[in-house]
Amino acid sequence: MIGQILQDALFAAIAAIGFAAISRPPRRAYIYCAIIAAVGHSLRYVLMNVLSWHVPIITATLVASFVIGVLAVFLSPVAKTPAETCLFPALLPMIPGMYAYKAFGGLAMCVIRQGREAFDYYFYLFADNALTCGCILLCMVVGATIPIFIFKKVSFQATR
Amino acid sequence: MTTNSDAGTPSVKEVCDFITRYCSWLVGCGATCIRVEKNVGRIARAYGKEADISIMPRHVHVSVVDDDSHESMTSICKVKNTPISFNINTRLSELSWEIADGKVDFGDAVRRFDEIVDNDSQNCWVVLLLVTLANASFCRLFGGDFTAMAIVGVATAVGYFLKLTMLSRGIDMRVVFIACSFVSAVLGATDVLFSLGDTPLVALGTSVLYLVPGIPFLNSFSDMLYRHYICAISRFTDAVVLTCCLSIGLCGGMMLMNVGMF
Repeated sequence: MIGQILQDALFAAIAAIGFAAISRPPRRAYIYCAIIAAVGHSLRYVLMNVLSWHVPIITATLVASFVIGVLAVFLSPVAKTPAETCLFPALLPMIPGMYAYKAFGGLAMCVIRQGREAFDYYFYLFADNALTCGCILLCMVVGATIPIFIFKKVSFQATR
Repeated sequence: MTTNSDAGTPSVKEVCDFITRYCSWLVGCGATCIRVEKNVGRIARAYGKEADISIMPRHVHVSVVDDDSHESMTSICKVKNTPISFNINTRLSELSWEIADGKVDFGDAVRRFDEIVDNDSQNCWVVLLLVTLANASFCRLFGGDFTAMAIVGVATAVGYFLKLTMLSRGIDMRVVFIACSFVSAVLGATDVLFSLGDTPLVALGTSVLYLVPGIPFLNSFSDMLYRHYICAISRFTDAVVLTCCLSIGLCGGMMLMNVGMF
């Protein structure tokens, strides 16, 4: 079990570094993005898969995003970067890409397939995945932004 | 750079021009509206002025008022069309604090600003490698096996190389997204077609995820929380349009390869 958690943390860290590179952070920020993403994503993994009561993905994402936000706020003065520079790339491995993919797939199949039964089924797939995707995105941002709200002074003076 | 003769403080026009350019770049490089507001207010106060900004989807509108003389000036500028860059965001935020703390005078601040926006290069081959590894790791996070990771890696590398090539030729971003997701989906579908691994649908689904515009989505929600609704909706719409283009390419690739989605 520990091995799976560490594996999740490792791959989340690699994903955070790679996706961060697209948005050109300063070089010193990469390590912080990786650490924060590893902690956040593995926490979500533990909440969803390890605990005896399996926390739903939306709640787990909210908790993990909050922890990511707190870490980003307090590590950003060390990294001398705005909190978002560490925060947003660290959140990217939690972007619900597969839900978005399935939602658009469902929508496409609604259009392509004929018949009410098929339409009902694919519309259900579209609505279910799109709602989950939207809720996860909202929870990610709300959870990660609350620490910036609470610790405004720290987060906006990080580059001082 | 001309400044008011008394005490070397810059004029309202100079501060307004500087702040307008500063806003244009900061919004363009993907800073959240709240950060732009904070940085601009800090710079204006350092020069004994008050600044109010209005951030529209494609323009910024800046008003600067002198605290003593009440002289005012308003300026509008197009948002700089530049890729998202946290490096510029970080360095411009640093500059705002250096100005606020009196570490640089106005002339130096303008020179520093020009230097920051002119020197933001990146080795595209390193980025290509990092994005490839990232998307392969992303595939693993979604439960893909090592075969799926390898296929996603190849699909990402080819797709991202195509993206860089097309963008360098000035092709519209939406066309680029359709083409790249199409190519990546075709390559990702090989796992399904040839039954190479145990998780072919994960490979197909994650092969295009490096194109998901995550930062614009996050920025838009952040702007919404701070009640910058117009900017939030604009950024969200941009991100949704790109996601639709990505989906069109993905569906096209799947239809070409005759691969089912569910």
